[in-house]
Amino acid sequence: MLELFLKSLPAFGKGILITLEITIFALIFATVIGLVVGLINIGKNKIFKAIAKIYIDLVRGTPLIVQAFFLYFGMTGALKFQIRPEVAGIIVISLNAGAYMAEIFRGGIQSIDVGQMEAARSLGLPYSKAMIKVILPQAFKNMIPSILNQFIISLKDTSILTVIGVAELTQSGQVIIGRTYKSFEIWTMVGILYFILIYLLSTVFRKIEVKLNV
Amino acid sequence: MISVKGLIKKYGNNTVLKGIDFLVEENQVVSLIGPSGSGKSTLLRCLNGLEEATEGHIFVNSSDITDVKLNINHFRENVGMVFQSFNLFPHLSVIDNITLAPISLKKMNKSDAEELALQLLEQVGLKEKAYVYPNSLSGGQKQRVAIARALAMKPQIMLFDEPTSALDPEMVGEVLQVMKNLAVKHGMTMIVVTHEMGFAREVCDKVVFMADGRIVEEGKPQDIFDNPQNERTKEFLSKIL
Amino acid sequence: MKKLSIILAFLLIFVACSSKKETSEKKVYKIGTDVIFAPFEFEKDGKYVGIDIEILDAIAKAEGFEYTLSPMNFNGLIPAISSDQLDGAIAGMTITDERKEVLDFSEGYYESGISAVVSAKNDKINSADDFKGKTFAVKKGTTGSLYAEDKQKELGSQIRYFDDSPSMFQEVANGNADITFEDYPVIAYKLSLEKEPTLKIVGDKLSTAHFGFAVKKGQNQELLEKFNSGLKKIKESGEYDKILNNYK
Repeated sequence: MLELFLKSLPAFGKGILITLEITIFALIFATVIGLVVGLINIGKNKIFKAIAKIYIDLVRGTPLIVQAFFLYFGMTGALKFQIRPEVAGIIVISLNAGAYMAEIFRGGIQSIDVGQMEAARSLGLPYSKAMIKVILPQAFKNMIPSILNQFIISLKDTSILTVIGVAELTQSGQVIIGRTYKSFEIWTMVGILYFILIYLLSTVFRKIEVKLNV
Repeated sequence: MISVKGLIKKYGNNTVLKGIDFLVEENQVVSLIGPSGSGKSTLLRCLNGLEEATEGHIFVNSSDITDVKLNINHFRENVGMVFQSFNLFPHLSVIDNITLAPISLKKMNKSDAEELALQLLEQVGLKEKAYVYPNSLSGGQKQRVAIARALAMKPQIMLFDEPTSALDPEMVGEVLQVMKNLAVKHGMTMIVVTHEMGFAREVCDKVVFMADGRIVEEGKPQDIFDNPQNERTKEFLSKIL
Repeated sequence: MKKLSIILAFLLIFVACSSKKETSEKKVYKIGTDVIFAPFEFEKDGKYVGIDIEILDAIAKAEGFEYTLSPMNFNGLIPAISSDQLDGAIAGMTITDERKEVLDFSEGYYESGISAVVSAKNDKINSADDFKGKTFAVKKGTTGSLYAEDKQKELGSQIRYFDDSPSMFQEVANGNADITFEDYPVIAYKLSLEKEPTLKIVGDKLSTAHFGFAVKKGQNQELLEKFNSGLKKIKESGEYDKILNNYK
């Protein structure tokens, strides 16, 4: 078993790198999308709000694997452009996580006492500055558990990208099994690797949370 | 300085302010008293645009708040507000609470703003608390910091929305003292929604009694408290004095 | 608490029933096949058809055994056989020495071999000499993927893995990959059906191989014997040739 593990390690290593690369990029984009859409949903512009609602409903109403197929095989074929599967993967997971982050942001911002915004505005601060300096810093602290949760969900979601040819951790397991037929051993290893990744991530986030609360 | 004409405020079908005409001169200290639901807080909040008037006009130094073209943020730099629940920013230290607006709005650089903040904290008697966080302060201390924070923008007018209603009785005095100093020593124009009749009598130039969305009676403190004319005024005062 | 126990009881009964092996009654074999691998197995009008399907059916009738068909992604078949979820599989599976380590194969029932396939619009790749540095799209667990892996170092190529043939072909047709390696009869059949083919074959067959029916090594030997015996029968009766002709 150890021999199998050591032999598979390079392939696993590459898979882990791709998994992390996609997760991190996607989450950065998702945070931006989430913040923008979350703020739109709190604001007053009806047209933007309608567009945001369609986006969130579509993402939440369709399975991620279908979204991946649609973007990578459907759209690229129909619109005749090429992108690397990893790029398609980042886009799909960004849009997916972004929709959920939007709700996290909206909830986080709305959980801040309305008196905070009133006090900030009464001092003459415009809405944007009040948001940036007073509301968001407080909201962010409250949102960290939910953001960590989404990070973990998105990291696990990357495993679906194997169907569009992304060489992430799950696919590296499949390819090794294709050659060695050792399903039980390999899947156990892959499971453990995911577990370790997520455990490390959670620990980092928890440390961030503690630091922010002090 | 402040001139309110025919102010009406509705929430849907509910009319909270039914036509208010109201004047405040420079350096005047005015208290708004009345039963809960009378609209006194609503009136106060209309004066800095936290509530939008449904009908009528509000002039502050020739700026009409009800005009859509008015830059409300600029306007608010000149009108400070102190809230019943303090609304200090918990993630910032006391001194940062005070310097946030002056620095962000580019009124001052950091060192000048901090110098001003320390002066104001001295004025409200809390200089030693400059670097702690709001959650370590008592209610009375928080409210005094809130007053300093509002004063940092050097407003011409200060609005107080039941500033002592959320305080334990022992702490009411320290806040009222700060407000009295502000009125007497600094000649600030102040409008105070309050239940503290002692303060109203002692410090205010004018007392305005409101009930059911209207101004029922107004006048000098001794006239209102000692010689109320209106039945409704008499009824209210008999219950609380 | 009572509701929970009732639900648990139902779950246990359900699991027990689905894993019960039929010992006293006649055995119904669970036989796996690929989800889509025309002309060997594919779905038409809600039913599975194809060369593999018809051969299996004819043999089962000739030998008198019953079976159920379990279509799944190709790379899931061997793990399923190894973990006793399937008794056997017929799925355009090439007989290889590596596979013989975990499977027992029947006599070869179809001759095949791998071909290189590129986009119909690609005029830069015309022979095996042009494979260098290109991106390969392959299907997980197939001899096509093995071929690509063997050649990867020397050609300096990138390999992308997919779960099924349509995804793999789409990748090349879309231009995201340059070449795929597929069993010759499959790509030939696909091209024969298309009025405006999006793909084309490059060069000669890269290998020769045979398809076999697979069971777990050392097990289900009687099923394997029945397959071989049945195969002989349908070849002698001419039914084998008839089946192949259906898909020309």
